[in-house]
Amino acid sequence: MINESRVKLMTRLAVYEGGEGKKNMSIGSYFRGDYISVQVIRSVICGTAAFLLVFALYLLYDMEEIIAGFYDMDLMGIGKTLLMRYAVFIGVYSVITYIVYALRHRQARRRLRIYYNNLRRLDSMYKKESAGKKN
Amino acid sequence: MVILLQIRESIRRFFTSYDSYCIAAGKFLAALIVFLLINKNIGYSEVLASPVIAVLAALFCSFLPPNFTVVAAAAVSLLHIYALSPEGMIIVGSAFLLMMLLYFRFSPKDTVFVLLTPVCFSLKIPFVIPVAAGLLGGPVSVFATACGTIAYYMLFYMSKSEVPAELTAAVAKSTTEGMLNRFRFIISGILGNRGMLVFIAAFSITILAVYLIRRLSVDHSWIIAIFSGTLLEILVLLAGELHFKTGISAGGVVAGSLLAALVGLVIMFFRFNVDYSRTERVQFEDDEYYYYVKAVPKNTVEPAAPRVKKIKGGSGKDLPEYHVRRSVTEDKEKKSSSVKKNTEKKTPEKRTSEKRVTEGPRERRSVEDRYRSDEARSSAAARMDREVAAKARENRQLRENKNRT
Repeated sequence: MINESRVKLMTRLAVYEGGEGKKNMSIGSYFRGDYISVQVIRSVICGTAAFLLVFALYLLYDMEEIIAGFYDMDLMGIGKTLLMRYAVFIGVYSVITYIVYALRHRQARRRLRIYYNNLRRLDSMYKKESAGKKN
Repeated sequence: MVILLQIRESIRRFFTSYDSYCIAAGKFLAALIVFLLINKNIGYSEVLASPVIAVLAALFCSFLPPNFTVVAAAAVSLLHIYALSPEGMIIVGSAFLLMMLLYFRFSPKDTVFVLLTPVCFSLKIPFVIPVAAGLLGGPVSVFATACGTIAYYMLFYMSKSEVPAELTAAVAKSTTEGMLNRFRFIISGILGNRGMLVFIAAFSITILAVYLIRRLSVDHSWIIAIFSGTLLEILVLLAGELHFKTGISAGGVVAGSLLAALVGLVIMFFRFNVDYSRTERVQFEDDEYYYYVKAVPKNTVEPAAPRVKKIKGGSGKDLPEYHVRRSVTEDKEKKSSSVKKNTEKKTPEKRTSEKRVTEGPRERRSVEDRYRSDEARSSAAARMDREVAAKARENRQLRENKNRT
């Protein structure tokens, strides 16, 4: 006989596994610290690329003036200012990344806990059913 | 109101029954509108500007994830701009890349607002976007709409009607100096547009206001959110116009904002308290069976029942009108009450429909929240788990009782 409540539970589990469960499982396979570190490193890479892109556009925008006054420039001063701006930008971006992904990890773990509880319940349903058959 | 509710329910039924076709058709229409608008405004490349290409591209997009439409629209725009000025393509492409690197890495789902914002700007209804984003999205939608506004103003700067004569004249020059001048010209043209900044500020404030007010636990919070958000949008835009002289028409702002409020009400009507969850088809197996399950969401409101018109009897007397469905259900209820007098349990369908009709603002909020946020969705799942567990417990007790007897 098909157990109706078991099928309902299995359906819900299958829907979760096919949808957001995939994403949550990949998040849940990491330790919290590892997951956030990976995302922060990715953000640093993306942030650096974005910063370089903006810098390149700035160079193109001001190319004429830069070429004209190249020998009078305080290159050390410009370098320090650039580094400072880069550090502030990457720092803020990394903090935002940390907060966002810490929240995502917590949420994913919470949903996975519900999913595992349901799996345990399914398992107990099977055990009870098989015990009933033996008796 | 009842007729409107029935229409809404029919639409919901239709959507849940033919969800895959509806979604594909919606994607096709959205992509087609986007490509046609791009061709109309910045269609510099003769090959890409053909409507046949637009239809084919839209057809292609209807089978792929929604984000693909955004990528395709960006690619087509860049190719058109390349036909006008390669420098323009580099600048616009860099801006798109920046958006992707900095923001869409976090929330790729929000790209829909980036696509919708330029479309609404082109259709002269940009005021709808912040109200819709505040009602349907969250505070993070502020970034998506800001990106959409920037994208629109960049493309608008290059559009056929607005493209500066200096740029078209300079395109002919292929010297390095000419190229650098064009870079400078395009960047200052885009960044110096104060109207863009005013719109970004107004949209951001409106989205946050609408979102925060609609989340309040007061009666009619959605309606209050729509109207206060619209008012705030008008005020910020007019203040921006007065301060920066952006050339935004006051009459246009008021008329557009009123239209936005109307659209907000329509969104509220279709979104509020209605579950558009789709039919799920899943497959799984255990030791004994293969299961091919189709899980269909429950219906909540009865559709319009067929009516029997007045029939003149032989004596000329008018017989009363009968509501066929009601009479059938009443008969069923009578039968069931005669058989099971003690069982006062309601069926799940009945319970849901009664809730929908009678529940107060607090209850409505909980239902709405349940379907809106993923977090709440999990709590709804937990509630269903409890119901399943209770049912299993009942079955177990019944089995035990049987065994004892």
